[in-house]
Amino acid sequence: MRAVALSLLFLASTAPLAPADACIGAEGQLAQLSRAVTVSSLDTAGNILRSLRLSHPDCLELLLHEARIAEAKGSITQAAELYYHYTDAAPNDSRGLAYFGRFFLNQHDYMRADALSAAALGKNPSDPAALTLRGQILVMKGQSSEGQALLEKAVALDPDDPEAHFQLGTIYDKAKAAPRAVEHFRKAVGLNPSDARAWDYLALNLEPVGDLDGADQAYRKGLQINQPGRFHDAFLDYNYGRFLAKRNDLVASKRHLDRAVESTPQIRAVWYERARLEMRMQAYPQARADAQKAAACSQQGGTIDLQIYSLLSQVYARLGDTALAQKYADLTRKTPPPVRGEQR
Amino acid sequence: MIDGIPGGVALFDYDNDGYLDIFFANGASLPDLGKNSAKFSNRLYCNNHDGTFTDVTARAGLRGEGYSIGAAAADYDNDGFVDLYVTGFDRNSLYHNNGDGTFTDVTAKAGVPGVSDRGKKLWGISAAWLDYDNDGKLDLFVTNYLDWSFATSRVCGPPGKRLSCSPTLYKGEPNILYHNNGDGTFTDVSEATGIAGEIGKGMGVAIADYNDDGWMDIFVANDNDRNFLFRNREGKAFDEAGVEAFVAYTDNGVPVSSMGVDFRDWNNDGRPSLLITALGGETYPLFRNEGKGFFNYESYKAGIGFRSFKMSGWGAGIQDFDNDGYKDLFTANSHVSENADLDGQQHYRQANAVFRNMHDGTFQDVSAEAGSGMQIRAAHRGCAFGDLNNDGQIDVVVSAIGSPAELLYNTSPGGNHWILIRTIGTRSNRDGIGTRIRITSESGRLQYNHVTTAGSYASSNDPRVHFGLGADTLIREIELKWPSGRVQVLHNVKADQLLTVTEELK
Repeated sequence: MRAVALSLLFLASTAPLAPADACIGAEGQLAQLSRAVTVSSLDTAGNILRSLRLSHPDCLELLLHEARIAEAKGSITQAAELYYHYTDAAPNDSRGLAYFGRFFLNQHDYMRADALSAAALGKNPSDPAALTLRGQILVMKGQSSEGQALLEKAVALDPDDPEAHFQLGTIYDKAKAAPRAVEHFRKAVGLNPSDARAWDYLALNLEPVGDLDGADQAYRKGLQINQPGRFHDAFLDYNYGRFLAKRNDLVASKRHLDRAVESTPQIRAVWYERARLEMRMQAYPQARADAQKAAACSQQGGTIDLQIYSLLSQVYARLGDTALAQKYADLTRKTPPPVRGEQR
Repeated sequence: MIDGIPGGVALFDYDNDGYLDIFFANGASLPDLGKNSAKFSNRLYCNNHDGTFTDVTARAGLRGEGYSIGAAAADYDNDGFVDLYVTGFDRNSLYHNNGDGTFTDVTAKAGVPGVSDRGKKLWGISAAWLDYDNDGKLDLFVTNYLDWSFATSRVCGPPGKRLSCSPTLYKGEPNILYHNNGDGTFTDVSEATGIAGEIGKGMGVAIADYNDDGWMDIFVANDNDRNFLFRNREGKAFDEAGVEAFVAYTDNGVPVSSMGVDFRDWNNDGRPSLLITALGGETYPLFRNEGKGFFNYESYKAGIGFRSFKMSGWGAGIQDFDNDGYKDLFTANSHVSENADLDGQQHYRQANAVFRNMHDGTFQDVSAEAGSGMQIRAAHRGCAFGDLNNDGQIDVVVSAIGSPAELLYNTSPGGNHWILIRTIGTRSNRDGIGTRIRITSESGRLQYNHVTTAGSYASSNDPRVHFGLGADTLIREIELKWPSGRVQVLHNVKADQLLTVTEELK
């Protein structure tokens, strides 16, 4: 928080900027520009920005979108400077604070994101961008019901905000309320088809509602548009691989789990899942190698020791190594199963 | 915890008239656990042979006491009349069939109260009759659930949205094995045989000789804990081999809320396999016995994974409902929590499910086309399988909490042929429980099954062994491997009959 305040103070003394009425007449284009940035249509956004610079050169809001474009292009330092510049010039603009807060969130600077989201909502409790960011952060802080309430309000005020729908969807996903999650992820991908995360979540939630073809299409769509950047999803291949295994398409499943292992080799779950598949394919030596790699991974990715022991016990039994099979069977017995929720 | 658990059903011919009668285990008032109203009475319905039944509970003396849950029927004293064991939360009861339409509670005399060696009444759920040491007398296995009491009972879920508490909040309890002494009494051999050393959260139980060594093994479905497969060590003791056999957990290495179980050969390879019911979001585990002591988790491979993901199940059966020579699957469905619907994804009252065996290792959910009886949404619990009207088609009786029980008469079309085999042991136990039967029908198709009344959830099935024969009207060979070790072979047996086979003495 202190660093943010100091930076804002510093920027306040450097650049006088034009007033907001310099944007009059550009409202429609500004809205298009904002949406283009939101959905990562950066070429479109760049074209609109250039046009507005000519027609409304003193419009302050252009600076905000310039910052967002820089961020979307990965120019982090430049984006930070632009955000600072904008929030210094328009310190009461809740949207500017919210976008800046999201910038920090994307940089994993959670303290500043937290502070700015609170500041943004303080400036304008009805700003959808502020509500969305604050809601997301409250959920991350464990205040799920408060966060959910803000996100619900955000989508009510701005039903076209894909991020708010995405965040709400993740809340329902976590609550295993798949039909509600599907609603919001469908809206998210409808508003921002370039969001691979939302396609992945949509597919994951279509599985339990029984729309398997829909899930398959969503996975494929997500993989098709999965690009490095804010909407990138590192687990699409992993999730699609698992799905294909359940649909008994083992060869295609292997292809995706191979890619998952290549892209996220530090995650235990991807090695574990490929080992399970190799067990099904009766490729026992490969299953042993992958299960051992899973055991050695530091990042569990949701896969617990019990699962590894159980798998290794099966692998060694299939390989005829009775001593190791028994060793891991004993470990399986000694390891207590996970404690789930108190209710069901 | 307690009010969502009851609902055992037993199908047995208590009056030896050749027709199955129906017994229902019922709960009691809470918290006093008294059967102080007619609605809490256990019920015995006598089959009138015309599709109707008469309530004979009072005359039979089977009203019961305490909070009853499950039932297991078999002739434990080899006198030719089927006896009944009733499990419960506060009381287990053994009823001896007097042969005149009445029963006598012999629990105390027999020494089968369901109490631990420390004197604590364990929470009995299911029971199985089996002759684990092949001595010609039926022994009794009882599953026990949680160390729960009203004093330690927890409240789960927010006010107004109460949900069933997870069993992980309570300690599990050991199961019990009683050895039949042959004089009307039993000895608790749980410690001596290694059964008591395994603490689980036992629900359903099923028996089968999964490793074909001539000794009956025991599978216990544990709720949110690893399942047990008690491998019989030649009648002397049991080794718990669930982990080694890969049936302790799903292939994902985690437990599910295992409820009911059946243990039969569904793919005609001679090896009994497992169907287990579980709660929504978990899928029903289907473990194929691949021999050499291993099972393979095949829920998704067999096509029931996605379908059962949304189901919550209790009773379970592997039975050939369309008599095509391949056993199908049946599950009695309902979520455990009355408020499950608050979730949106879950439903407390659910329709039962039947999955048709497609003869290629896969099953198809045909519940929607299986008739109006299969569309009833209720809080189903136990279910028992048997041929109620002796027409050669397996019927199902399903209990439900808070609504009428369901008699599902099997009216499958197709005119496939069948045989129903009743075994009478002489050197083996009189019911022939544990007898393994292989048939070779006219077309050369091999099928396998075994005599048992155990399986499903808290319930007891028709002891007669059913085989569907498809278009075959003749069975070339029937081979019976009796628990005594005797092997008996019959040739050229006509289809479409109730066949009684008595164990040859020589």
